[in-house]
Amino acid sequence: MSDNKKRLKNIEYAEAEWKKNVLDKRVGRFNLSKSPTRFYSPLAVSNFNFLEKVGFPGQYPFTAGNNPFDYWRAYAEDAAKMGYRPDWGAASGVGKYGGFGTAEDYRDYLIRMHSMGRTGGPNMAFDLATQCGYDSDSPYAEGEVGRVGVAIDAFNDFATIYEPYTGDLEIDRVPSNFTINAPAAIIIAMYAVLAEKRGIPLEKLRGTPQNDILKEYIARGTYIYPPKHSLRLFRDICVFCTQHMPKLNINSMGGYHIREAGATRVQDLAFSMSNATAYIQAGIDGGLAVDSFAPKFTFNAFGGSMEIYQEIALQRAARRIYARLLKERFNAENPRSMMIRQPITAHIGCSSTTLQRTLNNLTRAVVGGMAAGMSGGMPGVFPPFDEPLGLGHSQEAVQLQLDATRILIYEAKVADVNDPWAGSYFMESLTDEIEAKSLAEMEKIENMGGAVAAIESGYMQKAISKSAYERQKRIESQEEFVVGVNCFTGENEMDVNVNRVVEATYDPELLKSAEDRQKRKLAELKRQRDGKAVSSTLAALKEHARDENKNLMPDICECVRNNASLQEICDVLRDIFGEFQQARF
Amino acid sequence: MKITKTVENSWQSLVDGVQAGNIRAMARLITQVENREPGWKDAMKAIYPHTGSARILGITGSPGAGKSTLTCEIADELVKRGHQIGIIAVDPSSPFSGGALLGDRLRMKKIFTLKEVFIRSMATRGTLGGMSQAARDVARIMDAFGKDVILIETVGVGQDEIEVVKTADRVMMVCIPGQGDNIQALKAGVMEIADLYVVNKADMPGADEVMADIYAMLELSSEAGQPTPPVLKTSALKNQGIRELVATLMADSTESNRHDDKEEMRIKEEIFSLVEDEVLRFLRRRWEENGEIAEAARQMIEQKKDPYSIVAELLNQFI
Amino acid sequence: MNEGKKMRVLMAKPGLDGHERGAHVVAHGLRDAGFEVIYTGLRQTTAQIVNTAVQEDVDVVGLSILSGAHLSLSQKVIDGLKNAGAEDVMVIIGGIVPDEDIPSLKKMGVREVFTAGTPVSEIANFITRST
Repeated sequence: MSDNKKRLKNIEYAEAEWKKNVLDKRVGRFNLSKSPTRFYSPLAVSNFNFLEKVGFPGQYPFTAGNNPFDYWRAYAEDAAKMGYRPDWGAASGVGKYGGFGTAEDYRDYLIRMHSMGRTGGPNMAFDLATQCGYDSDSPYAEGEVGRVGVAIDAFNDFATIYEPYTGDLEIDRVPSNFTINAPAAIIIAMYAVLAEKRGIPLEKLRGTPQNDILKEYIARGTYIYPPKHSLRLFRDICVFCTQHMPKLNINSMGGYHIREAGATRVQDLAFSMSNATAYIQAGIDGGLAVDSFAPKFTFNAFGGSMEIYQEIALQRAARRIYARLLKERFNAENPRSMMIRQPITAHIGCSSTTLQRTLNNLTRAVVGGMAAGMSGGMPGVFPPFDEPLGLGHSQEAVQLQLDATRILIYEAKVADVNDPWAGSYFMESLTDEIEAKSLAEMEKIENMGGAVAAIESGYMQKAISKSAYERQKRIESQEEFVVGVNCFTGENEMDVNVNRVVEATYDPELLKSAEDRQKRKLAELKRQRDGKAVSSTLAALKEHARDENKNLMPDICECVRNNASLQEICDVLRDIFGEFQQARF
Repeated sequence: MKITKTVENSWQSLVDGVQAGNIRAMARLITQVENREPGWKDAMKAIYPHTGSARILGITGSPGAGKSTLTCEIADELVKRGHQIGIIAVDPSSPFSGGALLGDRLRMKKIFTLKEVFIRSMATRGTLGGMSQAARDVARIMDAFGKDVILIETVGVGQDEIEVVKTADRVMMVCIPGQGDNIQALKAGVMEIADLYVVNKADMPGADEVMADIYAMLELSSEAGQPTPPVLKTSALKNQGIRELVATLMADSTESNRHDDKEEMRIKEEIFSLVEDEVLRFLRRRWEENGEIAEAARQMIEQKKDPYSIVAELLNQFI
Repeated sequence: MNEGKKMRVLMAKPGLDGHERGAHVVAHGLRDAGFEVIYTGLRQTTAQIVNTAVQEDVDVVGLSILSGAHLSLSQKVIDGLKNAGAEDVMVIIGGIVPDEDIPSLKKMGVREVFTAGTPVSEIANFITRST
């Protein structure tokens, strides 16, 4: 028997003794049917191999983090001393992510924000009509124009938004973000055409389109075409960006939305990874070498529960799975190809916040920040406590959110040690468990024919719908507790109300008239543009769409240049690709 | 708090409304008949003379075969040919709660707002014979309203579903590629009810294999000399083969005498089903009221009698 | 109530908002509470919702809206039902609705608004009580 085996045998013996002499006695004394004690010894990770499972921060398999230290740590001290106000942890920092009304409305808003100290390029939210490939004059757009984001009908709208972005804010200097999926190819084409018109080389453009269409079928619902055609468009974007816009991130995948739609932790990880697999394969099918494009893949945040240990383990497992996927399956060699690059790491998810005693959400979000700080990310506290009130975040809530992150960094020093749980019997076994379950689920999807097949059959959609309902049932039956919601709600408790001043982010009068103004602008464009050129470029697109081997990006750019509208382009593709219909649930 | 109904709820005025083409009256009458609310039989008696002109098509097949999408495409094509369509989409009720999730409309959006189409989702509500009769009644109401083609679509191929589609004039069985084993399993008692077979999703690999399986099965089960039912290929999502399918469905339904035996069988089944319902209802009420059933139960609990003797004694007074 | 009577509910997602979690959870929950629930999926126009409500003779229409377009969409459904002679169908709303909009919704005829965190059992009880 080796020394290690002997050691484990001794522990096993000691554990049995402990159970008999200590644990069982106490359980008996309290007359419990089963023990509430969970304790992890070396037996839980008997084959633990540090270099294989964890490794040093910034080294394969990246369990301990992508980097030896993150960029923000390099200037954390300066930021505190100099009073600089980074919006750490706040995806929704002052006027950061947003969009509303017409292109003119949003442009004016951005100008105002820049006068108040905003930096960087636009981080655009689009209205639902744009997201679903409809122009503002479509019957489907009725009541939706400019509501949850800005309306983009054609290139002239896109160009309007960028009017203030010149000089120091020129588009080769500041990055832009586009939260767009189904029509991502069109928006990216608009970005390219804009650069072209300004004489800026495409290779200087930076930014991130969301461009994660597969999760739309699963979680967010703004799809247009059947998934396999969407994946073909993804391939075309991936190839186009790699060849012409190498600084642009290609996508921002997975995680967050799937979890918020009800997925369990394992489902979220497995589905996102299966989607990522489909995207990587699409790039390879497009003739690219994996290391030429995988470094430009990004993720949005994995996470979304209050269970702090599990969320830490999730981050570690996710990094390990992705690194191994890229290296072992796709033979990537560049370490950057193997990293999960995400702006926010662990967090509680908006669905963990409660309307009841709203300020508790600050406490909740701090737990998410701790999970992030202890799993290789910035301890960003997210979301602001007033998230479930549905009015936009108040300045007060954003201030408290930023401060909470700072308190975790500077006072609690949560992020002072990289992967502080490395080697913990409990954390390593939990990480292994989440990894194993996710890999098993990924294999199941692989056997179905991959992410596209699992979406076409409705498997993923049904699975998360079931999970969401089961969680709801657990809450209603008090198998799971949510403070102030299904427990501690008696009359001895006190309602805590917080005064907050919500600045109306967007002018409600502008919102009201946006639809009319946008429709007029579109009608005017359609009158003035060269109708023949529009028809012929759309016809070329249609012709090429039929040929699966053709990259459609040059045609889409040509349509954009000739002022074809977003819906006109989408309609051509609808004709060829068809429209997606959800399976029964 | 009671809500006031804007359509007059008496069965007589609903029947009048149905004949006058009032959609809301038809929908409400269907509810009353489905619920077996007082007066439902009188309503059906009044409806019956106005029925008989509609073609009733049953559409069945295992879950995932694309029946709803196919139903939608068939309806769309029939509307183009000038028909008035009624659709009855049947889903199972939960045996635990009695509730149901009726999701067939998800795949029928295209025809939601066509004025020629009326769609009604029905739950099985746990009673086998009852459901078939209810579907029959609902089809008759649609018929009386003026719908000349009625499609009854079921979610699967269980016993419930088979009973339901058997009430139709013609039954269409939907299969898909990759279902070879299923066809083997379906053989017993299920496959032979169909008058027409459709291989849907025929653009997927394996379509020809399913066709071959179906032909082989028909070969085995059909009697020598009898014509075998047609087998067609469609792709509902791509709207392929729909026109041919509809042409076959409608052509077939004009040859009325081929199915005389089936017709008689269906009528007998309906009479038995209605009698069964009436008799059971009558006995239930009578034995609950006079206490005979309670007494019988007591005797069994005390182990004085076996259930077989009890039934014989109870029925003795009638037979 | 007749013994055979089943409460019928149409769960609808009007507009382009694609967040289905709440609609799915409520649909499943109401089914398990014994209701017959008709679910029609995403991107329903208000005309489609009204047509479905009439044909299915539902007792209740539940609208799930998270896009902020609840005021205009609810108004259109309620007007549509009225025009179809179906103003007796009860309309309820779930989703993200700011407190200050609730009075306007109720004034236009929405019977109740259920925001995040409402147990499905509470919705089921409300429907049973109110019909």
